[in-house]
Amino acid sequence: MINKKGQKQKLRIFSAIRGKSGQEEFVGFGLIMIVVAVVLLIFVGFALKKNSNAELVESYEVESFIQTMLQYTTDCEDNLEFLSVQKLIFDCRENEKCLDGRNTCNVLNETLEKIIDASWNVETGSLVKGYELIVLDESVEMIKIQKGNSTNNYKGSKQIFSKGSNTIEIIFTTSY
Amino acid sequence: MVKAQIKIQQMLFMLLAITLFFVLVGIFLLVLGSSGLKKSAIELQEKNALMLVTRLANSPEFSCEESFGSNKINCVDADKVIMLIQNSKKYDGFWGASNIIIRKIYPEIDGEIVCSLSNYPNCNIIKVYSENNDGADVSNFVTLCRKESSGGEYYDKCELAKMSVSYELR
Repeated sequence: MINKKGQKQKLRIFSAIRGKSGQEEFVGFGLIMIVVAVVLLIFVGFALKKNSNAELVESYEVESFIQTMLQYTTDCEDNLEFLSVQKLIFDCRENEKCLDGRNTCNVLNETLEKIIDASWNVETGSLVKGYELIVLDESVEMIKIQKGNSTNNYKGSKQIFSKGSNTIEIIFTTSY
Repeated sequence: MVKAQIKIQQMLFMLLAITLFFVLVGIFLLVLGSSGLKKSAIELQEKNALMLVTRLANSPEFSCEESFGSNKINCVDADKVIMLIQNSKKYDGFWGASNIIIRKIYPEIDGEIVCSLSNYPNCNIIKVYSENNDGADVSNFVTLCRKESSGGEYYDKCELAKMSVSYELR
């Protein structure tokens, strides 16, 4: 009789324990579901945000701009001709002077600043928030022109050209 | 009885959770898929716009070809274009564009001066072809080259310009 009572009590305790662990399972499962849902929503949010920004950017303009800028005829003259920006970069590298005595690097810097300023409007309210031009001579910074703010939404282009064994890299980036 | 109810409830919750999970995954995949589509559509649009301006800039009517040294990309011969605008009516429907305008960007000139034979090259806007003002507008940077005289000698002068092309939306 005592044994039967004891057994019944034991069963009650076991079922109570089992019920509790079942509830815990539910809570755990619910928590996992909430975490998964939150992670998914964050991913969806990021995907949507990325999308809206991509529409504003037009990379081909940056690419064409570098090409066009390199072909511009400056007012720096050597014994043969008025030099293009591309030729002026190599002359600047070799510390050459223009026919009128000006330093080629000064002329180059001044010309590049004016060209970019006239081409890319970074004033408040405009689409372009900032730009950066870097000219690298054998991976060493030769010229750096920067204006406005740099943002995470940017588009850039790189052009490499060489004369003899010297390689020049031009990197232009615009922030939107 | 209570145990069975709990079991049913558990299954119900499980089913609900699984459904919710798959719906969210579905939405996520849909967004990813549509973003890819949108991206490729924008890229295609960009390419087409670039191709339209580049095609025009490099066509025989506009291109510098070898008049200014080696063959330049996106180079427009201003001397050629200024003569072309006298005969632009003959090109009706030829370019597939409703407006073609070349705007000099650098060196800057005060105000907007439309180019004609009488004021060239002291001007900054060349209206090559103008049919109407409607339609989408695409533009790209081009080099605007001409022959300039200095001290009785001629040299190549290349400036920075933007070529805008309008085309009717269909």
